[in-house]
Amino acid sequence: MKASRRLKSLQSRLLVPLLALLTAVWLATVLLTWFDVQHELDELLDGHLAQAAALLVMQQAGESDHDGVEDSPSLHKYAPRVMFQVFHEGRLVLRSANAGATPMSSHGLGFATERLDGKLWRVFATRGAESDVQVYVGELNESRDAILMAVLQGVMWPLAFALPLLALVGWWTVQKGLAPLRQLSQLLGQRRPQALEPLQIDRLPSEMEPVVQALNALFDRIEHMVAAERRFTADAAHELRTPIAAIRAQAQVAMGAGDDLAQREHALQATLAGCDRATRLVEQLLTLARLEEAPVSSLTSVDLSTLVRRVAADLAPTALARQQSIELDATKPCAVLGAEMLVAVMVRNLIDNAIRYSPDQARIWVSVQNESGQTVLRVQDSGPGMTEAELARLGERFFRVLGTEQTGNGLGWSIVTRIAAVLNAAIEVKRSEMLGGLAVTVRWPISAQA
Amino acid sequence: MRILLAEDDAMLGDGLRAGLRQLGFQVDWVRDGAAAEREIASGDYAAAVLDLGLPVKDGIDVLQSLRARKIATPVLVLTARDAVPDRIRGLDLGADDYVIKPVDLHELGARLRSLARRAHGQLQDVLRCGAVSLDASARQVTLHGEVVLLSTREFDLLYALMLSAGRVMSREQLEQKLYSWGYEVDSNAIEVHIHHLRRKLQPDLIQTVRGIGYTVARSKDPA
Repeated sequence: MKASRRLKSLQSRLLVPLLALLTAVWLATVLLTWFDVQHELDELLDGHLAQAAALLVMQQAGESDHDGVEDSPSLHKYAPRVMFQVFHEGRLVLRSANAGATPMSSHGLGFATERLDGKLWRVFATRGAESDVQVYVGELNESRDAILMAVLQGVMWPLAFALPLLALVGWWTVQKGLAPLRQLSQLLGQRRPQALEPLQIDRLPSEMEPVVQALNALFDRIEHMVAAERRFTADAAHELRTPIAAIRAQAQVAMGAGDDLAQREHALQATLAGCDRATRLVEQLLTLARLEEAPVSSLTSVDLSTLVRRVAADLAPTALARQQSIELDATKPCAVLGAEMLVAVMVRNLIDNAIRYSPDQARIWVSVQNESGQTVLRVQDSGPGMTEAELARLGERFFRVLGTEQTGNGLGWSIVTRIAAVLNAAIEVKRSEMLGGLAVTVRWPISAQA
Repeated sequence: MRILLAEDDAMLGDGLRAGLRQLGFQVDWVRDGAAAEREIASGDYAAAVLDLGLPVKDGIDVLQSLRARKIATPVLVLTARDAVPDRIRGLDLGADDYVIKPVDLHELGARLRSLARRAHGQLQDVLRCGAVSLDASARQVTLHGEVVLLSTREFDLLYALMLSAGRVMSREQLEQKLYSWGYEVDSNAIEVHIHHLRRKLQPDLIQTVRGIGYTVARSKDPA
């Protein structure tokens, strides 16, 4: 787990390939140098061996009548690393101090590598002008390797030092370069969930700017959402408190009524009405919450005319109780795409609002029409309508026109607009030219019709 | 004690009015901010219960303009706005008390009595004048420790006089403090009640200041 996380880190992603490449380049340099130097060295030193042999042959030609073996003295500390033998008519006549009595090489003329006294020697054998003189010149192979190693070391040492140094500098640079990233993660890690102010990071690299900007934009959006939710909760609490306060007050009045039966009856009736009102509010809150949680279920074809007739019939008694006239113009079937429950909730809220906010004896007109391919639902009333300022605030949750006698909670309109959005229908509110009150128009686009 | 109730919610207003009446308050009910301001400014109320979300004029604005006009009537804000900043703002703008809905009627009554008492510089809910003591919460009056039965009006009249002990109250002032809207007041009603109070308690408890009105002497013993 930890190892895999380390491999995933930017640090190792940067450092591992970098160091691997460096090592490869270093190895290639060493190998190339090795082969190159070895080749050049062999050529040069073989040349020297041959040259030395030629000198010995020439010298031997001048002293051919010499008797016995002559050992040449060792004159240099490197002398033991080279040796030579001169044979005349098969007899050893001249040799270096370290050379043996038998010929160094049995391979005939030219270059050969021989093992003598357990060590490898490079031997050059040649013959004099008269073939009775044989010259052998040998050189210890080790000394060649020593030169090679010395050359290679010159190449290797700086690189051997440079590599860890490079790794260190690379690590440090990356570490420093990633500091803002660590700072970011630390900031995010320490953040309380409620903290939504923008992130402030010093010396932000340009590569990270988009990340931080995106994060800050996200925080901003969340803040707006949280603020909206908080406002909603506060509003909901406010709206629930009033009916509960009313229920409590009325219940206490009923308890304190004593012998006043009429007052007790009135207070108990009001208590029940308050409970109904709180129930309705809770139901609407739940409807709204559900709409926001799971917006679109499967949409089917719904006959708007039939549905409007049914909802209007449900609500007609409420209107009639207030001597309001409710008129319906929905004769032709008009199919729209929607979910029956949602459309019904929307229509109910619209007609209910018209009844609720219009005075007694008001007229309410509901129509379903087909206008140039679009299905249009209109709910109009002869009530007081709304002012420009009120129209502007319409749709804020819990906004309701103050001063009305009605106990609405202002959620109905939020539900209506939400459903319209889900059904992809356009909604418009303005003054009713026909009745003088409010006119709400819901328009299904051609594409949203079944 | 006469209270103005400013509440736009029909059901809650109805309940509060009925409940406070049961507790012995005279309650007038208005449903919008402008009416609330007008009525509180009239100065006839011992205290006011003010909802904040009122139509026409918001409760906070009502409070602000009342205090700007130096009208000192105690105001109890009764609201569903429970956020601490709202409470602080309400109190800073001149509310004498800030109560969150829902509220217990008895508690509301006690808070209103407390506001009225403090507005008159009284420290306790039991007012004393010589041998007479008046317990506003129990609505009970005693003379030398013996309970004396008074009618509602008589009690309210005595309460109004004792709250303003040391000050002379005119007949009109007393009528306004005693009767909420919709009551026909007989021209000599106050005189009749004063007469009864003198008879039931002590003849010299309430003094008549000719041409001005009536007064109860400020109590000498420390309350």
